[in-house]
Amino acid sequence: MYGWIWRHLPGNAWVRALISLVLVLAVVFVLFQYVFPWAEPLLPFNDVTVDEGAGATG
Amino acid sequence: MSRARRAAPRNRNWVAGSLSLLGELLITVGVVLALFVWYSLWWTNVVADRQASARGDQVRQQWQSAPPAAEPGALDTQGGIGFLHVPAMKNGEVLVKRGTSPEVLNDGVAGYYTDPVKSALPWDRTGNFALAAHRDGHGAKFHNIDKLRSGDAIVFETRDTWYVYKVFAQLPQTSKYDVDVINPVPKASGRTAPGRYITLTTCTPVYTSKYRYIVWGELVRTEKVDAERTPPAELR
Repeated sequence: MYGWIWRHLPGNAWVRALISLVLVLAVVFVLFQYVFPWAEPLLPFNDVTVDEGAGATG
Repeated sequence: MSRARRAAPRNRNWVAGSLSLLGELLITVGVVLALFVWYSLWWTNVVADRQASARGDQVRQQWQSAPPAAEPGALDTQGGIGFLHVPAMKNGEVLVKRGTSPEVLNDGVAGYYTDPVKSALPWDRTGNFALAAHRDGHGAKFHNIDKLRSGDAIVFETRDTWYVYKVFAQLPQTSKYDVDVINPVPKASGRTAPGRYITLTTCTPVYTSKYRYIVWGELVRTEKVDAERTPPAELR
Protein backbone atom coordinates (compact mmCIF):
# COMPACT_ATOMS: atom_id res chain seq x y z
CA MET A 1 0.00 0.00 0.00
CA TYR A 2 2.62 2.54 1.10
CA GLY A 3 4.98 1.19 -1.56
CA TRP A 4 2.28 1.73 -4.16
CA ILE A 5 1.73 5.34 -3.00
CA TRP A 6 5.48 5.98 -3.00
CA ARG A 7 5.84 4.69 -6.56
CA HIS A 8 2.99 6.90 -7.77
CA LEU A 9 4.29 10.13 -6.26
CA PRO A 10 6.03 12.41 -8.73
CA GLY A 11 9.58 13.72 -8.51
CA ASN A 12 12.79 12.39 -7.02
CA ALA A 13 13.20 10.86 -3.59
CA TRP A 14 13.40 14.25 -1.80
CA VAL A 15 10.27 15.58 -3.44
CA ARG A 16 8.46 12.34 -2.69
CA ALA A 17 9.57 12.45 0.93
CA LEU A 18 8.29 16.02 1.23
CA ILE A 19 4.93 15.14 -0.34
CA SER A 20 4.67 12.11 1.95
CA LEU A 21 5.27 14.30 4.98
CA VAL A 22 2.54 16.71 3.86
CA LEU A 23 0.15 13.79 3.29
CA VAL A 24 0.89 12.38 6.76
CA LEU A 25 0.28 15.77 8.37
CA ALA A 26 -2.98 16.14 6.44
CA VAL A 27 -4.16 12.75 7.68
CA VAL A 28 -3.23 13.61 11.28
CA PHE A 29 -5.07 16.92 10.97
CA VAL A 30 -8.25 15.24 9.70
CA LEU A 31 -8.04 12.67 12.50
CA PHE A 32 -7.60 15.30 15.24
CA GLN A 33 -10.10 17.75 13.84
CA TYR A 34 -12.92 15.49 12.73
CA VAL A 35 -12.49 11.77 13.38
CA PHE A 36 -11.35 11.72 17.04
CA PRO A 37 -13.88 14.32 18.29
CA TRP A 38 -16.57 12.22 16.65
CA ALA A 39 -15.29 8.91 18.04
CA GLU A 40 -14.57 10.06 21.59
CA PRO A 41 -18.14 10.27 22.98
CA LEU A 42 -18.79 6.77 21.65
CA LEU A 43 -16.09 5.36 23.92
CA PRO A 44 -16.68 4.88 27.65
CA PHE A 45 -13.63 6.71 29.02
CA ASN A 46 -14.91 10.14 29.93
CA ASP A 47 -18.09 9.86 31.98
CA VAL A 48 -17.52 11.70 35.22
CA THR A 49 -21.00 12.42 36.57
CA VAL A 50 -23.31 10.40 38.73
CA ASP A 51 -26.62 9.88 37.02
CA GLU A 52 -29.48 7.49 36.66
CA GLY A 53 -28.05 5.66 33.70
CA ALA A 54 -29.60 7.49 30.80
CA GLY A 55 -28.86 11.06 31.78
CA ALA A 56 -25.94 13.39 31.36
CA THR A 57 -22.44 12.07 31.09
CA GLY A 58 -19.32 14.07 30.84
CA MET B 1 8.80 -7.07 -3.21
CA SER B 2 10.43 -6.68 -6.60
CA ARG B 3 12.89 -9.45 -5.93
CA ALA B 4 10.07 -11.76 -4.85
CA ARG B 5 8.20 -10.94 -8.03
CA ARG B 6 11.10 -12.08 -10.11
CA ALA B 7 11.86 -15.24 -8.19
CA ALA B 8 8.48 -16.61 -7.12
CA PRO B 9 5.61 -18.17 -9.05
CA ARG B 10 2.60 -15.96 -9.52
CA ASN B 11 0.28 -17.24 -6.76
CA ARG B 12 2.98 -17.05 -4.10
CA ASN B 13 3.56 -13.52 -5.18
CA TRP B 14 -0.15 -12.80 -4.65
CA VAL B 15 -0.09 -14.26 -1.13
CA ALA B 16 2.98 -12.24 -0.22
CA GLY B 17 1.35 -9.08 -1.58
CA SER B 18 -1.82 -9.60 0.48
CA LEU B 19 0.16 -10.36 3.62
CA SER B 20 2.23 -7.25 3.20
CA LEU B 21 -0.92 -5.18 2.65
CA LEU B 22 -2.48 -6.71 5.77
CA GLY B 23 0.68 -5.95 7.72
CA GLU B 24 0.68 -2.34 6.58
CA LEU B 25 -3.00 -1.97 7.51
CA LEU B 26 -2.37 -3.42 10.98
CA ILE B 27 0.56 -1.08 11.55
CA THR B 28 -1.65 1.80 10.42
CA VAL B 29 -4.39 0.83 12.89
CA GLY B 30 -1.77 0.68 15.65
CA VAL B 31 -0.45 4.12 14.80
CA VAL B 32 -3.96 5.60 14.62
CA LEU B 33 -4.84 4.14 18.05
CA ALA B 34 -1.63 5.55 19.50
CA LEU B 35 -2.54 8.92 18.03
CA PHE B 36 -5.99 8.63 19.61
CA VAL B 37 -4.48 8.08 23.05
CA TRP B 38 -2.25 11.09 22.51
CA TYR B 39 -5.30 13.09 21.40
CA SER B 40 -7.39 12.09 24.44
CA LEU B 41 -4.76 12.61 27.08
CA TRP B 42 -2.85 15.56 25.70
CA TRP B 43 -4.48 17.44 22.86
CA THR B 44 -7.92 17.74 24.50
CA ASN B 45 -6.16 19.30 27.51
CA VAL B 46 -4.47 21.87 25.29
CA VAL B 47 -7.74 22.81 23.61
CA ALA B 48 -9.75 22.82 26.85
CA ASP B 49 -7.22 24.87 28.81
CA ARG B 50 -7.12 27.45 26.04
CA GLN B 51 -10.95 27.63 26.03
CA ALA B 52 -11.19 27.77 29.81
CA SER B 53 -8.65 30.53 30.23
CA ALA B 54 -10.36 32.64 27.55
CA ARG B 55 -13.74 32.12 29.25
CA GLY B 56 -12.20 32.79 32.66
CA ASP B 57 -10.75 36.09 31.45
CA GLN B 58 -14.17 37.04 30.11
CA VAL B 59 -15.81 36.35 33.46
CA ARG B 60 -13.21 38.40 35.32
CA GLN B 61 -13.66 41.26 32.87
CA GLN B 62 -17.42 41.14 33.41
CA TRP B 63 -16.87 41.25 37.15
CA GLN B 64 -14.78 44.37 36.77
CA SER B 65 -17.11 46.21 34.46
CA ALA B 66 -20.48 45.30 35.98
CA PRO B 67 -21.82 47.39 38.87
CA PRO B 68 -21.86 45.56 42.20
CA ALA B 69 -24.98 43.45 42.41
CA ALA B 70 -27.24 43.53 45.43
CA GLU B 71 -27.67 39.75 45.29
CA PRO B 72 -24.93 37.31 44.36
CA GLY B 73 -27.65 35.27 42.68
CA ALA B 74 -27.94 38.01 40.10
CA LEU B 75 -24.67 36.80 38.56
CA ASP B 76 -24.64 35.86 34.93
CA THR B 77 -24.64 32.08 34.99
CA GLN B 78 -24.00 31.66 31.28
CA GLY B 79 -20.33 32.57 31.23
CA GLY B 80 -19.61 30.96 34.58
CA ILE B 81 -20.46 31.66 38.20
CA GLY B 82 -16.97 31.75 39.67
CA PHE B 83 -13.70 29.96 40.20
CA LEU B 84 -12.82 26.93 42.25
CA HIS B 85 -9.41 26.87 43.95
CA VAL B 86 -8.22 23.59 45.43
CA PRO B 87 -4.61 23.99 46.61
CA ALA B 88 -4.21 20.25 47.24
CA MET B 89 -5.00 19.50 43.58
CA LYS B 90 -2.29 21.93 42.39
CA ASN B 91 -4.20 22.92 39.28
CA GLY B 92 -4.76 26.61 39.65
CA GLU B 93 -8.24 27.98 39.29
CA VAL B 94 -11.13 26.13 37.68
CA LEU B 95 -13.98 28.04 36.09
CA VAL B 96 -17.38 26.77 37.26
CA LYS B 97 -20.33 26.76 34.90
CA ARG B 98 -23.90 25.55 34.96
CA GLY B 99 -24.59 21.97 33.90
CA THR B 100 -22.62 18.75 33.59
CA SER B 101 -23.16 17.85 29.94
CA PRO B 102 -20.09 16.95 27.85
CA GLU B 103 -20.47 20.23 25.94
CA VAL B 104 -19.95 22.15 29.18
CA LEU B 105 -17.28 19.98 30.79
CA ASN B 106 -15.23 19.49 27.64
CA ASP B 107 -14.24 23.16 27.75
CA GLY B 108 -11.99 22.48 30.73
CA VAL B 109 -14.37 23.71 33.42
CA ALA B 110 -16.18 22.20 36.38
CA GLY B 111 -19.97 22.09 36.11
CA TYR B 112 -22.56 22.17 38.86
CA TYR B 113 -25.33 19.60 38.63
CA THR B 114 -28.77 20.49 37.36
CA ASP B 115 -29.73 16.85 36.95
CA PRO B 116 -30.46 14.29 38.47
CA VAL B 117 -30.27 16.39 41.66
CA LYS B 118 -30.36 20.15 41.39
CA SER B 119 -27.25 21.55 43.02
CA ALA B 120 -27.43 24.33 45.56
CA LEU B 121 -25.23 27.36 44.98
CA PRO B 122 -22.67 28.58 47.51
CA TRP B 123 -24.76 31.57 48.56
CA ASP B 124 -27.86 29.47 49.31
CA ARG B 125 -28.77 29.23 53.00
CA THR B 126 -28.40 25.44 53.01
CA GLY B 127 -27.78 22.76 50.42
CA ASN B 128 -25.09 20.93 48.53
CA PHE B 129 -22.97 22.64 45.89
CA ALA B 130 -22.31 19.59 43.68
CA LEU B 131 -19.66 19.74 40.96
CA ALA B 132 -18.29 17.44 38.27
CA ALA B 133 -15.19 17.74 36.10
CA HIS B 134 -12.96 15.53 33.98
CA ARG B 135 -10.34 13.30 35.55
CA ASP B 136 -8.35 12.93 32.31
CA GLY B 137 -8.43 14.84 29.08
CA HIS B 138 -10.45 17.99 28.39
CA GLY B 139 -8.47 19.92 30.97
CA ALA B 140 -8.44 17.09 33.55
CA LYS B 141 -9.48 19.59 36.21
CA PHE B 142 -10.12 16.98 38.90
CA HIS B 143 -7.17 14.75 38.00
CA ASN B 144 -5.64 15.01 41.47
CA ILE B 145 -8.86 14.52 43.40
CA ASP B 146 -7.25 11.57 45.20
CA LYS B 147 -4.73 13.98 46.78
CA LEU B 148 -7.48 15.62 48.84
CA ARG B 149 -7.52 14.70 52.53
CA SER B 150 -9.87 15.68 55.34
CA GLY B 151 -9.09 19.22 56.45
CA ASP B 152 -7.88 20.39 53.03
CA ALA B 153 -9.33 23.64 51.78
CA ILE B 154 -11.64 24.08 48.81
CA VAL B 155 -12.19 27.74 48.03
CA PHE B 156 -14.85 29.06 45.71
CA GLU B 157 -14.42 32.58 44.43
CA THR B 158 -17.31 34.72 43.19
CA ARG B 159 -17.23 38.37 42.31
CA ASP B 160 -17.91 39.50 45.84
CA THR B 161 -17.16 36.60 48.15
CA TRP B 162 -14.63 33.87 48.94
CA TYR B 163 -16.40 30.72 50.17
CA VAL B 164 -13.95 28.62 52.17
CA TYR B 165 -14.84 24.94 52.53
CA LYS B 166 -13.00 22.20 54.38
CA VAL B 167 -12.97 18.59 53.19
CA PHE B 168 -14.50 16.26 55.78
CA ALA B 169 -15.12 12.98 53.90
CA GLN B 170 -14.01 11.09 50.81
CA LEU B 171 -15.52 8.14 48.98
CA PRO B 172 -12.77 6.72 46.76
CA GLN B 173 -15.06 4.48 44.77
CA THR B 174 -18.78 4.27 44.21
CA SER B 175 -21.21 3.27 41.49
CA LYS B 176 -21.99 5.78 38.79
CA TYR B 177 -25.68 5.34 39.69
CA ASP B 178 -25.07 6.49 43.26
CA VAL B 179 -26.88 9.81 42.83
CA ASP B 180 -27.51 10.13 46.58
CA VAL B 181 -23.95 11.42 47.01
CA ILE B 182 -25.04 14.79 45.61
CA ASN B 183 -28.24 15.08 47.70
CA PRO B 184 -28.73 18.31 49.70
CA VAL B 185 -27.79 16.26 52.77
CA PRO B 186 -25.33 13.63 51.51
CA LYS B 187 -25.93 10.83 54.02
CA ALA B 188 -23.00 8.73 52.74
CA SER B 189 -20.62 11.43 53.98
CA GLY B 190 -21.79 10.87 57.54
CA ARG B 191 -23.72 14.14 57.81
CA THR B 192 -27.39 13.92 58.69
CA ALA B 193 -28.39 17.57 59.20
CA PRO B 194 -28.83 20.25 56.57
CA GLY B 195 -25.75 22.39 56.05
CA ARG B 196 -23.73 24.21 53.42
CA TYR B 197 -21.89 21.39 51.70
CA ILE B 198 -19.75 21.08 48.59
CA THR B 199 -19.37 17.82 46.65
CA LEU B 200 -16.76 17.09 43.99
CA THR B 201 -17.41 14.15 41.66
CA THR B 202 -15.26 12.67 38.92
CA CYS B 203 -14.45 9.27 37.49
CA THR B 204 -12.07 6.68 38.89
CA PRO B 205 -9.73 4.79 38.45
CA VAL B 206 -7.75 7.19 36.27
CA TYR B 207 -8.13 6.74 32.51
CA THR B 208 -11.45 4.91 32.93
CA SER B 209 -15.05 5.69 33.78
CA LYS B 210 -15.87 2.57 35.72
CA TYR B 211 -16.58 4.18 39.11
CA ARG B 212 -16.98 7.62 40.65
CA TYR B 213 -14.73 9.36 43.17
CA ILE B 214 -16.50 11.65 45.64
CA VAL B 215 -15.14 14.32 47.99
CA TRP B 216 -17.32 16.24 50.45
CA GLY B 217 -16.58 19.49 52.18
CA GLU B 218 -18.53 21.96 54.28
CA LEU B 219 -18.44 25.71 54.49
CA VAL B 220 -16.31 27.02 57.34
CA ARG B 221 -16.48 30.73 56.59
CA THR B 222 -16.92 33.35 53.91
CA GLU B 223 -14.77 36.40 53.25
CA LYS B 224 -15.66 39.56 51.43
CA VAL B 225 -13.54 40.16 48.35
CA ASP B 226 -11.51 43.34 48.85
CA ALA B 227 -10.36 45.80 46.19
CA GLU B 228 -7.11 43.91 45.51
CA ARG B 229 -8.91 40.55 45.50
CA THR B 230 -6.55 39.38 48.26
CA PRO B 231 -7.04 35.62 48.47
CA PRO B 232 -7.97 34.05 51.82
CA ALA B 233 -5.22 32.56 53.98
CA GLU B 234 -5.82 29.07 52.55
CA LEU B 235 -4.62 30.18 49.12
CA ARG B 236 -1.54 32.07 50.23
